[in-house]
Amino acid sequence: MDNVITVRELRVRSRDKTLVGPVSFDVGQGSTTGLCGPSGAGKSTILRALVELLPNGLTRDGELQVLDRTIAPGKGDADLRAKIVLVPQVPVVFGGSILDNALFGLRHVLRASQGVLKERAEKALEEAGLWKEVADRLDSPAQNLSAGQRQRLCLARALALEPAGLLLDEPTSALDERSRDKVEQSIAALHGRRAVLLVSHDPSQVERLCDTTVNLDQPVAASPAAAVG
Amino acid sequence: MTTETLTRPPVAPDTGGRPRPSKWIWTWLYAGAFAVAALLLVVVGYLGAGIAGGHVDWMELLTESAWSPTNSVFGGLAMIYGTAVVCALALVIAVPVSWGAAVALSEYLPPRLARPLRMCVELLAAVPSIVYGLIGIMVLRPVISKIADVPGGDSLAAAGIVLAVMITPTIVAVSVDALTAVPDRVREAAYSLGLTRREVVRSAVLPPARSGMRAAVLLGLARALGEAIAVFLVVGRADGRLPTSFGEFLDSLSHPGQTLTTKLAGPEPVLAGTSGPYFAAICGLGLVLLALVAAATVWGTRGRDRGAASERPLKFRGTARLRQQRDRLVMTLRLGALLLPSLLLVGMLALLVTRGSSAFDPSFWFTSATGAAGGGVRDQIVGTVLLIATTGILALPLGFGAGILIGIHASERTARVLQTVTVILGGAPTILLGLAGFVILSTTMGWGRSWLAGAIVLVPVVVPVIALTTSARVRSIPAELTESAMSLGLTRAQYVRSVVVPYTWPATITGLLLGLARAAGETAPLLFTATVFFGAPMVPSGIVESPVQALPTHIFTLSQDSGDPQAVTQAWGSAMVLVLITAVLLSAAVALRNRFEGERWTT
Repeated sequence: MDNVITVRELRVRSRDKTLVGPVSFDVGQGSTTGLCGPSGAGKSTILRALVELLPNGLTRDGELQVLDRTIAPGKGDADLRAKIVLVPQVPVVFGGSILDNALFGLRHVLRASQGVLKERAEKALEEAGLWKEVADRLDSPAQNLSAGQRQRLCLARALALEPAGLLLDEPTSALDERSRDKVEQSIAALHGRRAVLLVSHDPSQVERLCDTTVNLDQPVAASPAAAVG
Repeated sequence: MTTETLTRPPVAPDTGGRPRPSKWIWTWLYAGAFAVAALLLVVVGYLGAGIAGGHVDWMELLTESAWSPTNSVFGGLAMIYGTAVVCALALVIAVPVSWGAAVALSEYLPPRLARPLRMCVELLAAVPSIVYGLIGIMVLRPVISKIADVPGGDSLAAAGIVLAVMITPTIVAVSVDALTAVPDRVREAAYSLGLTRREVVRSAVLPPARSGMRAAVLLGLARALGEAIAVFLVVGRADGRLPTSFGEFLDSLSHPGQTLTTKLAGPEPVLAGTSGPYFAAICGLGLVLLALVAAATVWGTRGRDRGAASERPLKFRGTARLRQQRDRLVMTLRLGALLLPSLLLVGMLALLVTRGSSAFDPSFWFTSATGAAGGGVRDQIVGTVLLIATTGILALPLGFGAGILIGIHASERTARVLQTVTVILGGAPTILLGLAGFVILSTTMGWGRSWLAGAIVLVPVVVPVIALTTSARVRSIPAELTESAMSLGLTRAQYVRSVVVPYTWPATITGLLLGLARAAGETAPLLFTATVFFGAPMVPSGIVESPVQALPTHIFTLSQDSGDPQAVTQAWGSAMVLVLITAVLLSAAVALRNRFEGERWTT
């Protein structure tokens, strides 16, 4: 099986010291890989290192390969981010309707008619397990959705890009049990179709969803607050 | 081992009353709020009384262009035209540059660079307008006169450019505030969907920031509309004719004109007396001006919370390569836009430091002026400090009271009304404050030129700044803090005294310093009420007919005599001193803000 993401000896450092790593892992086509560790171990930081969204002042070194492309540190670009899509921990809903949100990334990267775009959005919403709940109100403001629905909308927005891989950062940490189950169902449904790297602090969740697990043990003093400059 | 029984000291019997009920707090808060409303009423009231005292032909005032007091013809259209042209020109130049620079500052520059630059922009926004006027008269006029072949260079275009330079820092500063208020996770979410930087800015950052950036422009416009002094120095003040064709319109740009504010800042209000049709027409012009400024201010500060729900659907915009090229092009444009204000900053500093070098000679600070334009400016510095200190003492309790009342919502409606009144008062053209002071304090009450009149006239400049910073701080009190205090059984008054005041006062002091920095540079209100150019004692004795000398009016008088090299040197030196005083006040305010309100300069 081909790897979608290959990471070797990846480190995240500030100017004078190594904050995270070194870590090495692969995420295979269609597999779900868990990234576990205590709070502050640098799980979120690693996800951001993969798509070049590290907070200011932090840099990555080590080897990173996405599909057949080797990404040198600092060379990640918009194309990379459209191939492996990060879904942040706190769902961000942009202004505008549910449909606007589902198409937020896609309409920037795909030249297509409104009809085709809408079809892709519907498919993505279905894949994220949100379609049934919003099918009749695609044009209503997305701000009105519940927390669990927002998280799945963010997932749908990422899936609409038909990415090779998804980076999920604690997707259920802010949700109640019922919403968590729904999001977990959506993630489980991705198995076999998309490469998923799932960050979680909950071992049982990793057990339920993942084929392989990467453990980060040493806590480090990285602040997870991401700032994009 | 012996066991001692520990006895508690006897507790005083419960008297049943509340300790320190602090009811007086309400009196104070309502006094502050009442003062704000009263100040605005006085300004509007004196204009209204003036209009009522003589017959104003509004049709003539708004549609005729001829202004000739000797023939009792009072048409204000040429002045309204002048104001419109000057402000439109200022906006056309300032808005694209400012918005580009603001986006560059908040989205493109690394925080290491953006932080100090943002601070410089805020400092630049507080530079007294008299300094911009001085630069206009000394630097811009000669250039215009060479290009457009106008003797002297006084023109509507010069006034528009000076205003553009003046409002650019304001628009940049407020726009950057709006942009940095967009949380970083919104940017991250957009980047992680594969958008380029330009697309992230356009689709994710600008929509929520747009209303704040529009407000920035309206605040800039309000400042441009109400500015009297900087325009006065370069516009030429010729009661012009209206253009009837596009060619004439272009031609009118390079010729002297008149605006509403310059008419009011000229000698005419003093000549017009305090009643009769002439005075009524002047008051009519003032009311038109106030209405314009109030409209811009209110429009600019309302509805910030309206989300950008009605976003136009974006269509796909090209291949990957095209997207990248576009991204680079836009980045170049925006960084280029940032270059202009930066150059402006460097240029202004260079001008002030080289030409105002006399300010670095201690004797300039500590000797009094000799002759028309020699010696130092000791008396002017003392006068300015006296004025703003008195203003601060008068304004602090009023602004604090009003601000807290707005913040804690006596009722939702009072708060809204009061906030609007405060905002309008803050935007009121200072020339109108000066005229109100002249009519009420100097003439009617017979104070003549008096330092106290000057200080009182500056109070409405400072009070809104204090009130608005205070109320913003009150609103940021965490809900849990309020909830815990109230659930421990405090009354509202006790809550104000024990929670709100201790939490808020640093912001109030910041507001005071910011307000005083603004007041220190005000020229227009002092001209008729408080200052003379020469011959006042260093410290006035008494109130009636006891003027002072002050830095802004000193610069104003000197810069009108731009042919005399000695006066020019003196003017630049005084400008440098004034800028230094403002900068000290402002840095103190910024330091306080950062100390007490946490790190604010984050990008």
